[in-house]
Amino acid sequence: MTNESTNAAERLKLGPREGVTYPVVMKYCGHCSMPIEYCEYYPEYEKCKEWLERNLPDDFERLKIEEEQASADGTDDDKKRQKRGGKGLLRVKKKEDVPKRICVSRAARGKKKSVTVVTGLSTFDIDLKVAAKFFGTKFACGSSVTGDDEIVIQGDVKDELFDVIPDKWAEIDEDVIEDLGDLKR
Amino acid sequence: MFKKFEEKDSISSIQQLKSSVQKGIRAKLLEAYPKLETHIDLILPKKDSYRIAKCHDHIELLLNGTGEQVFFRHRDGPWMPTLRLLHKFPYFVTMQQVDKGAIRFVLSGANVMCPGLTSPGASMTPAEKSTVVAIMAEGKEHALAIGLLTLSTEDILKVNKGIGIETYHFLNDGLWKSKPIK
Ligand SMILES: [Zn+2]
Repeated sequence: MTNESTNAAERLKLGPREGVTYPVVMKYCGHCSMPIEYCEYYPEYEKCKEWLERNLPDDFERLKIEEEQASADGTDDDKKRQKRGGKGLLRVKKKEDVPKRICVSRAARGKKKSVTVVTGLSTFDIDLKVAAKFFGTKFACGSSVTGDDEIVIQGDVKDELFDVIPDKWAEIDEDVIEDLGDLKR
Repeated sequence: MFKKFEEKDSISSIQQLKSSVQKGIRAKLLEAYPKLETHIDLILPKKDSYRIAKCHDHIELLLNGTGEQVFFRHRDGPWMPTLRLLHKFPYFVTMQQVDKGAIRFVLSGANVMCPGLTSPGASMTPAEKSTVVAIMAEGKEHALAIGLLTLSTEDILKVNKGIGIETYHFLNDGLWKSKPIK
């Protein structure tokens, strides 16, 4: 057995490794979501690199050094390896660029009561069920997910939401919350 | 298998599991993956209640107490770990290493062809046909896909053409992208 294949056998062996604490903490790329060692296969590798540079500068430096070495040695893999046919190209799935915006409105329920409707939370990737539960606890009232991206809170809490939402989710600025006033449901 | 999977559209129902069923699944997992023994209580704590999400195309997802997808299966097939789980506990599934050239194909969801497993950059650990395998790659540390051997590794070496591993789940497919289900 060559050295290379003994190494591989060792790496592919089953069972927990000594000195490793599980669960392993992974570094995933904030742009393509894959382990950072796979970014180079992502069609928008440049954007992955930008993310790395900003968020994991140490890993970014290491990568840069490796790349420089590879091009200096002329060991660019593309040249060395046989090309395969077929379409092996990854395509970036077009994300529909939904504007990030939250709308709140009030709707009458019966003569005296009203409910508050919140839409748009999922444009911030917020789990609606968790959010509904949070509103319920916060305002001590009923709150439920009523649609694709809609939460209905029982009671009129519209004005409070302008403080509560940015407090709970730091990524949401008060300015992106729009007041639609009173709407019929 | 999860190429077109979308959490919102593909899950048809979610059910709580009875504790007897739960025990059964745990036992099955330990039987299929004996090495899991060390950490199964971290992955599926005994006291937690798990749920199963039934999805289109006869796929089932096993959710642990925090709503994370930990295992999946197709029809009556074996339970296979999700990549996110496997990355945390990367030692319990038989590993097969593909060469560098195969990486981009696997990442686009293609099955692994035998030559990608027999070339100099590749490496196999002996296993029977239909074994669940983690697809590793030359020069990389982490698994990029999960699949089933369509031939024994012995036959892969002998035949050396056609499909060697059927890819079920890979980085950036729909299952990878879905979030924990609360
Ligand atoms: Zn990336």
